[in-house]
Amino acid sequence: MRRLALKSLLGHKLRAALTSIAIVLGVAMMSGTFVLTDQITSAFSSIFQSALKGTDVILSHRQAFTPQQGGGGDTGPLPASLIPKVRAVPGVANAEGQIQALGAIVVNGNVVTPSGGAPTLVLSTLPKPYNTNTLTAGHFPQGHGQIAVDTSLANDQHLHVGQRLGLTTDQGVKPVTVVGTFDFADSASLGGATLVSTTFSDAQRWYNRVGKTSVIVATADHGLSPVELKHRIIEAVPGFVKVQTGSESADQQSKDISNSIESFLTPLLLAFAIAAVFVGAFIIFNTFSITVAQRMREFAMVRTIGASRRQVLRTVLLEAFVIAVLSCIIGLVGGIFVAKLFNQLFKALGADLPLAGITIRTRTIVIPVIVGMSVTLLAALIPAFRATRVPPVAALREGATLPPSRIAKVVPYLAALFLIGGVAIVVQGFSSDAGAFSKILRLGLGSMIIFLGTAMLSKYLVRPLAKGIGWPLQKLAPGPGRLARENAMRNPGRTAITAAALMIGVALVVFVAVFVNGFKETFLGALDRSVSANLIITPRSQGQTMPPATVRTAATTPGVAVATGIGFTEVKINHGGTDVINGIDPGKLTQVYTFDWQKGGSNVLLTRLGTRGALVEEQFARSHHLGIGDTFMVTAATGRRMQLRVLGEYKDPVLFGGFMVANRTYIKLATDPGPGVVLVRYVPGVDPVSGEQTVKNALQAFPTAKVQTTQEYKDSVSNMLNRVLLLLYVLLAMVVVISLFGIVNTLALSVFERTREIGMLRAIGTTRSQLKRMIRLESVITAIIGGILGIVIGILLAWIVTQGLKDQGIVFAIPWGQMVACLIVAGLAGAAAAALPARRAAKLNVLDALQYE
Amino acid sequence: MTDVVSATELTRCYGEGDAAVQALQGVSLSIPKAQFAAVMGPSGSGKSTLMHIMAGLDQPTAGQISIDGIELTELNDKKLTLLRREHIGFIFQFFNLLPMLTAEENIRLPLQIAGRKVDDDWVDRVIDRVGLSDRRKHRPSELSGGQQQRVAIARALISQPTVIFADEPTGNLDTTTGNEILALLREAVDETQQTTVMVTHDATAAATADRVLFLEDGRIVRDMPKPERSDIMATMGALTG
Repeated sequence: MRRLALKSLLGHKLRAALTSIAIVLGVAMMSGTFVLTDQITSAFSSIFQSALKGTDVILSHRQAFTPQQGGGGDTGPLPASLIPKVRAVPGVANAEGQIQALGAIVVNGNVVTPSGGAPTLVLSTLPKPYNTNTLTAGHFPQGHGQIAVDTSLANDQHLHVGQRLGLTTDQGVKPVTVVGTFDFADSASLGGATLVSTTFSDAQRWYNRVGKTSVIVATADHGLSPVELKHRIIEAVPGFVKVQTGSESADQQSKDISNSIESFLTPLLLAFAIAAVFVGAFIIFNTFSITVAQRMREFAMVRTIGASRRQVLRTVLLEAFVIAVLSCIIGLVGGIFVAKLFNQLFKALGADLPLAGITIRTRTIVIPVIVGMSVTLLAALIPAFRATRVPPVAALREGATLPPSRIAKVVPYLAALFLIGGVAIVVQGFSSDAGAFSKILRLGLGSMIIFLGTAMLSKYLVRPLAKGIGWPLQKLAPGPGRLARENAMRNPGRTAITAAALMIGVALVVFVAVFVNGFKETFLGALDRSVSANLIITPRSQGQTMPPATVRTAATTPGVAVATGIGFTEVKINHGGTDVINGIDPGKLTQVYTFDWQKGGSNVLLTRLGTRGALVEEQFARSHHLGIGDTFMVTAATGRRMQLRVLGEYKDPVLFGGFMVANRTYIKLATDPGPGVVLVRYVPGVDPVSGEQTVKNALQAFPTAKVQTTQEYKDSVSNMLNRVLLLLYVLLAMVVVISLFGIVNTLALSVFERTREIGMLRAIGTTRSQLKRMIRLESVITAIIGGILGIVIGILLAWIVTQGLKDQGIVFAIPWGQMVACLIVAGLAGAAAAALPARRAAKLNVLDALQYE
Repeated sequence: MTDVVSATELTRCYGEGDAAVQALQGVSLSIPKAQFAAVMGPSGSGKSTLMHIMAGLDQPTAGQISIDGIELTELNDKKLTLLRREHIGFIFQFFNLLPMLTAEENIRLPLQIAGRKVDDDWVDRVIDRVGLSDRRKHRPSELSGGQQQRVAIARALISQPTVIFADEPTGNLDTTTGNEILALLREAVDETQQTTVMVTHDATAAATADRVLFLEDGRIVRDMPKPERSDIMATMGALTG
């Protein structure tokens, strides 16, 4: 019996290959995810390790919490007076301060933004042994106005020693001279990040750190361990100072990075991998169902010669097992390529990540293999059980059919149960107060169950859908169209599962499209409703701020009526999680922003903000149970605590989530007082074009500030969201491609099964091209059924989710154009998937086909 | 009388070198219009090969074959397909109907494939002739073997082909049903001058034909006009014996 299974596999290599592709790709995506994220984490880890190689102990400001938006600058400076104190600790051989900030170089008036959204870190230079960088030309900065840059930045920008350029600082652009270039520590790759090195005192002045230092690094006397030194320093410094050994700090930073990757990138990519495997399960189920039906006489024959049901079951499962093992092996190897592919993808979309060499961890192999194996075997289980139900007498009968599955009768009820259950899980997930992760988990689980339910139910939808879709095709190509339509309907279960595999990919595409479109409409709608600025000034690099002077400069530009900056950062609320604090100018905001006041509030409230007043967003008030007059405690990342009183409530979950305080309160709580956005309105009558130009000219000293008209800003937000959408589409394309292999496989098996029919059709005058068209159209019908189901489910899911996020202002908007495009692409993809089976059918020799049994 | 099928010195060789099999070794024949010809011979005699070549499904290694004056050996696959569409009807041993189409749809299939305008009266007449008027909407699985073969006959007749080739049309039917099928074929020849070539190994079937060609080892060994069942049996006995 074992030989029977292997023979059957070897006899149908193409079928086996097409079946495995689904699992191969799923496993490859899974292991590729692990390979890539491990590469990124270990690259970061080696960056931190090598940067801190010469450092025994490092002192920084203790953080009350880890902000989600990690910038790259310091998280609160230490007083520089600590440096001599540390030096005085017995056992300290040496201690130095270092300023860490974010900046950018300005070459010929243009701000150089590193590729991939990575930052340019401005770090004051340190002596040996702290400085682990290797000079490649010139020297490290020694005097005022000198900088050294990392070699890759120098190469990219064609910088040379002696060149004069600009450096963006918190005090505008400063003229500097390149005095040296260096390679970063041991590892050449920093991802896209670039480094600029300055003197300590320049950095202090330029980045508003006079009398302060971002970190203090120290080395121990010979013979003293870093751990021992750490303990001695802890004794000597105040409690807000965090003291770590160099390796502890490196480990912690690596862990922070690793955590943020594990909590975002890994699950994101894994979700697509799981979708791929899930689609693969459909394909395996379908292939095995079809082949079991085709091999019915073979099974009956072995039963007549004495094989037990159990042996038949084992034969089929063994075949599945062999496919699973091979797919997993190929998939694991493929994972390395998928990791490269993912990385290229991120790069192409502007996210450049540092990569270390490939290391294969246990989970990289174990998890994908377990998932791949179990999904394959589970999917083959039902067909395998059906194989055991073939009666021995079927061997003797011409045209015997497989007995219906035992569960066939309950399938419609089961399907309904799955649909209701799946929808319930998603609805419940999004109407509860569960965290984002658990919501997404429930969304995933719920949609899988919905997909299963729809797949079971679609068997009953195939006939009407195929009839409807086939009708115009039949008008277009009467003979082949007619036959294609009938062929699509003759095995509704088979067509249903094939279409369902595609449905999953389409549903995910549609869900993403509708959801992102809703998000776009939400954001742009909120801007239109409440923001009446002419210009919106934002930092060129995301997540950074602009120098506070940007606001003053813009405000004093002729033609400008109002320019007001808004800063935002995270603070901890009471003892709970963090939320957004917005720092506003109470006297100016209402001139460019219209409040949607709740609970009888009005603009008057702004004048009463003072230093302890706060205006809270509706959601914020609700989740922290705050009413007007209540107080709450906020803790800044630096550890500074402050009690605030609720003065009023407004509604704007999109632009001003969290709460608002006056700027003077904000600067006490934010590490970086600079604004994240500046809104500008002209005096009436100013020509928009010349107004924009005047502001741009006035802000030339602040090249990190990007001046855009409101329309330009809206376009750039749309573009950004479109890029996100593109990334998701590319990832989903893999899922869709897998389902196309399902179509190829089903069609190939159908062609094989209908060999004699094809022979007859050819004999009575069907040309090869008519035959090809027939198969192509059957494929198109199947694909469009999948497309329609996918669009319906995708829209349903997006609707449920947007309903759940209604409070956060997310609106539901269907991009109909994209839906139509989706259907057309599905049809074309179906036609493409038919190419191989159609060619095979057309190549059949008429005589052989007619005599085929 | 004009010859609608004419073959000259047909040879057909399968394989190469030592393994080569000569299925046909110089067969010449001609079949005039409205003739019902049967081809007989023991298995391996080449009768199926001969039929396949005459029907444009296979090409001879050497020799000529023409249908209605058109030389088949000069045609490419596309032209051969179109020729079959226009000039040739098929009846198979195993009926070869499309299971998802009704009887009537199966019958109309050749016209649909050819994209020909359908004359509904003609379709009605053909269905009536084969006696399936009350079975039009039935699918093949709901029909008996005899009824399925009637559908196949109607499908062959519908396009009024120059010649119908029937490959063991009674081979899969019981005697009574087989006789009904043969009567239908005979009727088509007599009433509509439908030229028909039938391959069979059943003497009774062959006896309904106007003429029987006996093949042995790829050659026509006897051409028997106005055959009687007993003569056929004797000849076959001599061939197989």
